[in-house]
Amino acid sequence: ITYLTNLSLSAELLDDILREKPQEADGIDSVVVVDNVPQVGPERLEKLKNVIHKIFSKFGKITTEFYPEADGMTKGYIFLEYAAPTQALEAVKNADGYKLDKQHTFRVNLFTDFDKYMNICDEWEAPEKQPFKDFGNMRHWIEDPDCRDQYSVIYEAGERTAIFSNDAKEPIINEERARWTETYVRWSPKGTYLATFHQRGIALWGGEKFKQIQRFSHQGVSLIDFSPCERYVVTFSPLMDTKEDPQAIIIWDILTGQKKRGFHCESSAHWPIFKWSHDGKFFARMSTDTLSIYETPSMGLLDKKSLKINGIKDFSWSPGDNIIAFWVPEDKDIPARVTLMQMPSRQEIRVRNLFNVVDCKLHWQRNGDYLCVKVDRTPKGTQGVVTNFEIFRMREKQVPVDVVEMKESIIAFAWEPNGSKFAVLHGESPRINASFYHVKNNGKIELIKMFDKQQANSIFWSPQGQFMVLAGLRSMNGALAFVDTSDCTLMNIAEHYMASDVEWDPTGRYVVTSVSWWSHKVDNAYWLWTFQGRLLQKNNKDRFCQLLWRPRPPTLLSIDQIKMIKKDLKKYSKIFEQKDRLSQSKASKELVDKRRAMMEEYRNYREAALQNYQEQKNLRLELRGGVDTDELDSNVDDWEEETIEFFINEEIIPLGDL
Amino acid sequence: HKCFALVKDVKVFVSTEDNQPYLSIPCSEHKITSAVWGPLGEFVIAGHENGEINQFSAKSGDILKKIKEHTKQINDIQSSVDNTMFITASKDNTAKLFDSTSLDHIKTFRTERPVNSAAISPIMDHVVMGGGQEAMEVTTTSTRIGKFEARFFHAAYEEEFGRVKGHFGPINCVAFHPDGKSYSSGGEDGYVRIHYFDPQYFDFELEV
Repeated sequence: ITYLTNLSLSAELLDDILREKPQEADGIDSVVVVDNVPQVGPERLEKLKNVIHKIFSKFGKITTEFYPEADGMTKGYIFLEYAAPTQALEAVKNADGYKLDKQHTFRVNLFTDFDKYMNICDEWEAPEKQPFKDFGNMRHWIEDPDCRDQYSVIYEAGERTAIFSNDAKEPIINEERARWTETYVRWSPKGTYLATFHQRGIALWGGEKFKQIQRFSHQGVSLIDFSPCERYVVTFSPLMDTKEDPQAIIIWDILTGQKKRGFHCESSAHWPIFKWSHDGKFFARMSTDTLSIYETPSMGLLDKKSLKINGIKDFSWSPGDNIIAFWVPEDKDIPARVTLMQMPSRQEIRVRNLFNVVDCKLHWQRNGDYLCVKVDRTPKGTQGVVTNFEIFRMREKQVPVDVVEMKESIIAFAWEPNGSKFAVLHGESPRINASFYHVKNNGKIELIKMFDKQQANSIFWSPQGQFMVLAGLRSMNGALAFVDTSDCTLMNIAEHYMASDVEWDPTGRYVVTSVSWWSHKVDNAYWLWTFQGRLLQKNNKDRFCQLLWRPRPPTLLSIDQIKMIKKDLKKYSKIFEQKDRLSQSKASKELVDKRRAMMEEYRNYREAALQNYQEQKNLRLELRGGVDTDELDSNVDDWEEETIEFFINEEIIPLGDL
Repeated sequence: HKCFALVKDVKVFVSTEDNQPYLSIPCSEHKITSAVWGPLGEFVIAGHENGEINQFSAKSGDILKKIKEHTKQINDIQSSVDNTMFITASKDNTAKLFDSTSLDHIKTFRTERPVNSAAISPIMDHVVMGGGQEAMEVTTTSTRIGKFEARFFHAAYEEEFGRVKGHFGPINCVAFHPDGKSYSSGGEDGYVRIHYFDPQYFDFELEV
């Protein structure tokens, strides 16, 4: 038996024990101060205390309460002590802003916060002026004289990231870096920034040389989202989150690099958790029975409180206006309904009741002209699920709703980005059909065309509308159909075996199909097609992972200017065609020159090798005992030639009377 | 398991029961996967499973020259008809042309699949390559019939100019007929295919 004669406690052990030492300070952390409490006299004090107790014991056990008085009335603020600091925090979180009646809205704060705010320095110190960092022209890529769009490519399983300019002949490399990102990249919505991911946070790059513009420190960041105006970026890390200091989601100001606000987050399953209004003025998130809408730049709750919406299942912003659409399921005898709400007024523009609803999905057209609510219902008396599309016409007075009934299960739905058509893939493999509808001005929704027996599970509209690709990705082996929806013709049917992704360029001229190493370990490449489905390039890249087109900022041209350009298109076409022909012949000439040089080099090498070979002839003869093996027919004497005749056919041809 | 390159005298090998090699060259680190003789029998050119190529002296077994141009296993080495150069086929999806004496790297031919075998035409500036998936991974490729192709590259321009379909599985071996008028390929599917070139093959020229 060994004894510890020298009890030496390690520093760690000591820390553990000391942490549990009762501390005087604990008491203060559990105290809250409630303001705007009604001022009452002694006859109503008991009732007041009961009301307060009822409201505030929801958050924990109240161990002490103190109602300061002056001149026989309560002062209007009280102190409550809870059994633990966490309970005090709950009280602040939930009771702050509680409306007792018209004149009294509680303000609840931690007692310790008062301390904190009292100690803020009275003297305001102006922040130090930072030197101006010139990153050059942030829109440099837009000024390419040949209007080439850029795209990012991640390959070598993530080891290399490159930026190319798209040219029909072959991609032109702009920048290539090893380990530029640790996982993947994202472009900002207007294409100004490239975001890369790192263990410590994210970095933004931009300008002509892709210099580092800004860095945001968020340990273990895994997801990001930009505000549409590119003023803010939202980062998510599952690692950082404590009750006192929620840091799972952080919203940053991109230009200053400042952390604007941190939020708690339970699960990142439906990223982005915060959805932005199209102009970046608001962002909102949904939690149980609640819709919280915040405004920028203050990052505070709009009207200082969240919206209580019982059972809210999903919401989304109109991409064109500050309108939120949300839906709630059936509740006892109240039917399910979809509501359109104007922000910031919170006025309900439109409410639509829906019956026997199983699920709803919201699909906005890209300009906010239409909202489609895909409703899955189980009609009374049946077992099966049927789907309706409820089409809201946002631009018409009182937002009329038209219904399209679908007979089969829906695989995919997509609006034409800037038009009034939508495409639907429906049915079940192998009988999948593609239907095209047009939402007409006269209140009708017309089925333009249906293609049956399609190998498709995804719809990709050109960002400029009219053209689209129906693709059978992954398990459907990369079947592609290029459609012109102006007359619903199939322009081309093709295949990119095992394609996992389809990406249109921002101008709608080119489409890239790709096989990502992340989903398939061989044949990793990206192929470039024209919008009509003509294959231009096959670009193999070792362990190719991801291609993303750089978005373009909205055009600076007015609608009239665009009209003028379209009118004069013939004139511009001539100039462009000439330019194309010149560059074609230049490329041919370059290729021809390159080939000539290669051939000459090769010929020279072969001549030298041949000369050497001939000089060594004697050596060879010596090695082979005088037998010449240089030519096939060097030793004809050694050969035996045998001629064999086979009888194949007999034909008798009469020569006529001679 | 140790790896050896064994040099055997053919006459002795055939006529006697004593099968001792004339020379045994050990190579302990990366095993040899393919080998050919040098132009005058003075050295052996060997390709290794790590992509290395070594010239072993046929007298002493010492390494005369070594290079590493391939990043993965060398599957096949074949010499040109005059033995002045040789072509290597590698798992790194390329085939490369080298000078036999100096081991200078002359050309590279790139594909997207492992190359199992390559050969040099005796009469034209062409090389033929065959390859495909590793046998284990075949089920992950297109099951379309005859997808495995023999591919022809121009030796000077390093550009592919033709493909011949027909095999149902990866091609393991290719060879030109000594007269250069046909070629043969053997595949995982168990077939040997013999193709005779049509007149256009001999007239074909890339735009110069």
